[in-house]
Amino acid sequence: MNLVLPLAHALVARKDLPIPAWLFAWGASIVLIVSFFALSAAWRKPRFEDERWRPLGAGFSRVLLGVPVQVICGAVGVFLLGFAIYAGLRGTEAPDRNFAATFVFVTAWLGFPLFSVIFGDVFRPFNPWRAIGRVTGGAFAAIAGQRAAHLAYPKALGRWPAAIGLLAVVWLEVVYGGSGGVAVGLSPHAIGLAVLFYSLYTLAMMGLFGVEEWCQRGEVFSVYFGMFSHLGSFGVKDGRLGRRLPLSASTHWATIPGSAAMVIASIASTSFDGAQDGAFQSSIQQVFEWLADTGITKITSLRLTDTIFMLLTFAGVALVYLIGIRGMASVRGAPPLKKLRMGFAHTLIPIAFAYLVAHYFSLFVFQEQAQFTYLLSDPLGTATTDLFGTASGGIDFQLLSANAIWYVQVAALVIGHVVGLTLAHDRATAYWGDYRQAARSQYWMLAVMVAFTCFGLYLLSVSNT
Amino acid sequence: MSSNFTRAVVGAIVVVVAIVLLVVLKSDDSSTGTSSNASGKVPTIVVKNGEPVGGIRDLTYNKGEQIHFVVDSDVSDEIHVHGYDIMKDVKAGGSVSFDFPASIEGVFEAELEGRKEQIIELTVNP
Repeated sequence: MNLVLPLAHALVARKDLPIPAWLFAWGASIVLIVSFFALSAAWRKPRFEDERWRPLGAGFSRVLLGVPVQVICGAVGVFLLGFAIYAGLRGTEAPDRNFAATFVFVTAWLGFPLFSVIFGDVFRPFNPWRAIGRVTGGAFAAIAGQRAAHLAYPKALGRWPAAIGLLAVVWLEVVYGGSGGVAVGLSPHAIGLAVLFYSLYTLAMMGLFGVEEWCQRGEVFSVYFGMFSHLGSFGVKDGRLGRRLPLSASTHWATIPGSAAMVIASIASTSFDGAQDGAFQSSIQQVFEWLADTGITKITSLRLTDTIFMLLTFAGVALVYLIGIRGMASVRGAPPLKKLRMGFAHTLIPIAFAYLVAHYFSLFVFQEQAQFTYLLSDPLGTATTDLFGTASGGIDFQLLSANAIWYVQVAALVIGHVVGLTLAHDRATAYWGDYRQAARSQYWMLAVMVAFTCFGLYLLSVSNT
Repeated sequence: MSSNFTRAVVGAIVVVVAIVLLVVLKSDDSSTGTSSNASGKVPTIVVKNGEPVGGIRDLTYNKGEQIHFVVDSDVSDEIHVHGYDIMKDVKAGGSVSFDFPASIEGVFEAELEGRKEQIIELTVNP
């Protein structure tokens, strides 16, 4: 049986060329050289555990954290959420002409991680579910004369709901949506329904456990974007905006169970998306044909195969991390395994961010041109509206050359690698009193980081034909 | 410290060897950078029952070259070259010729728009 696998992204009219072998070799060599410098030129006392928090001027906090700005941002968030659902349900079924697909999976899903690193947790004020939840909570308190009672959130659950939710979002995008049997991605109608369903689920959970509690642990987007905001230097503390040492906030991020799962899910889902029509393609094809031969329908076989590979990728990434942790635990003076497992989770956030940039940078740059031209003026894709006079606009694919994309991809991975090593070394100096044992423990994390970075380079270098 | 150092050096050598192997093995099966259509013959994609005969055709060009191919189809549809956004109609039993400069780098699909059936994977190297 010779079945042709359908393609994943109909949203995307252009795919990146694989990075050439010479650049792969250079990238990998730089990674190794940098890593060995890291081993020799290391500091002996932790530098990033203390945030060195400096509040910004009180005026900034009064304006940006004030009620009017919160109301406006919340209203914008709720409007965009509602509009995405409306466009998805009522607009054209062509994913590339419908506002919903690009807005949900490119503008928000890829834009917020980027802006969170630069400006801090910008999703929080715009979070539409938080805004609805707070208004509802306030209304309840005003009518009932008391605050709504909530269930105690089970501590052991931690960020697991968010980590599983992250896998579900990516599954919807690249497995369910990528398997339509023909070269269409997730249909806008399905996106509209999914967003609607997620909204109901989120509001229900907020009602059960409280708005802020759920945003910190269970709400996929808050936890995911918030994770990246911990890399940057802007934050809010005690009701004031402030600056801190870059990266320092991340050292306190993974203190809730499931945090490691969250960052591993991020790396795994980006890897799977990059590998499914590249590195994993022939294996996927084999399993798919085997399943299809057993009589399962073509679409179900493909979704099943992709699901298996996505879970395998998650298991693989987790395994590499856990081997590194086991290895560190064997070094004299090591803290308990559980503490190590949580204590080094944040060192993978830069890797996760580097993977995002490497895989989606060009998609973001190209697709945002669509977002702000024809998708803005003709959001339903009906070709009858031209709200801002940009409906006839298009994407200039010559904006980025293949070379520019390759350099950004390799640079992102190398920088992510260096930052990850830096955080891991810093944490080791905090956990091991003896500097030499700390350095020894870091051979293990070095191996983990080299594995992830070279795997990332490898994924980019595999031709997708 | 010295035994640690030796261990690190050994580790480095193992990794370097692995990477060199990978690069060498990779360069065997890929011949990127050369145009696959240098022979001068115009590639023809035959569509039967709405599907490309012999599977999706790979066409590779370098930037600046002229992209030139013909599609023979037994179904009536519109052929859409994505990215370049070139669309041409083809009638059942007819053929249509495409001829345009390779100005955008990347990997693009050409498909039978109505059937959403990909027929060509077009690669333009820098």
